Amino acid sequence: MSNFDPNDFVAITRGHLYEDFEVGQQFDHHWGRTLSAGDNSLFSTATCHWSPMYLNVAYAQTHGHPDLVINPLLVLCTVVGLSVEDLSEAGGPFLGLDRCRFHRPVYPGDTLSARSVVVAKRESNSRPGMGTVTWHTEGRNQRDEVVVDCQRTNLVAMRTRTR
Amino acid sequence: MTRASQLTGSSTYFEDFQVGQRVRHPRSATLGEVEGAMLAKLVMNTAQAHWNEHFLKGSPLGSGRVVFGLITASVTIGLTSEDTAENALAELGLDNLRFRAPVHHGDSITAYSEVVSTEPAERDDAGIVTFHHWGVNQDQVVVFEGDRSIMVKRRSHWAGR
Repeated sequence: MSNFDPNDFVAITRGHLYEDFEVGQQFDHHWGRTLSAGDNSLFSTATCHWSPMYLNVAYAQTHGHPDLVINPLLVLCTVVGLSVEDLSEAGGPFLGLDRCRFHRPVYPGDTLSARSVVVAKRESNSRPGMGTVTWHTEGRNQRDEVVVDCQRTNLVAMRTRTR
Repeated sequence: MTRASQLTGSSTYFEDFQVGQRVRHPRSATLGEVEGAMLAKLVMNTAQAHWNEHFLKGSPLGSGRVVFGLITASVTIGLTSEDTAENALAELGLDNLRFRAPVHHGDSITAYSEVVSTEPAERDDAGIVTFHHWGVNQDQVVVFEGDRSIMVKRRSHWAGR
């Protein structure tokens, strides 16, 4: 075994930069995520969202649901989370989120997947070397029904910092 | 069996919300390991700025772990939930969410809300309320704001059920 020198290793990088995005480009994001009742309890309690619709099975069933409802904010966070490696991990800060709709409830055991389309991009006037990119992201359940969609905008670093 | 209406408050039915009402919610929350790093990883957010203490050292965002914006939004909304959505039937949507300043582990969030609109729903036992929420840190800096629409039970149909 040779001595360890970090310079001997190739750094693996992930994510995309401003030049990598083209309007209309689609990403089918990795992994998917089955949401459990445990995920929901952790998320709902840690965010101080102690609603019985998310944490009391009998209460949720009284309202016509077969089980606890998964907190829609967990659904949104997970769908956006699944998109991060492709869209924003390498890029820069999260600026905003618009037009988010929760289309149908998600229940424990449902599996989410995420996909996105590039909606717009432009270079930043105030931040040389950066641009803003807007994506439309949607999350679907295991029956391919859309459960949530939204538009997200981030500041994204350019590969070539020419200015 | 306990009636559903016994499990939730009686002052958060649709009839109780008036456009222009502004409230500061009673509890603030500090974002730390659980809310910041744990939840970012729970929701598959692979950006290490949220869970690597040393990644942002010297960055304009400030050193230390920065909290995922949608977690800041979720905690702000969670802090409002007993006062806004305890008698909600569903979350409908979010719009105009803006992340105004970075949030780090150790910051504390206080939530403020204004009722922006109230309108009938397609079903007659509920109405739609739209709020504007603000999340403010311990230095009174607005770190997050945005609009949220929910479907809320009408007292006329749901009180006592």
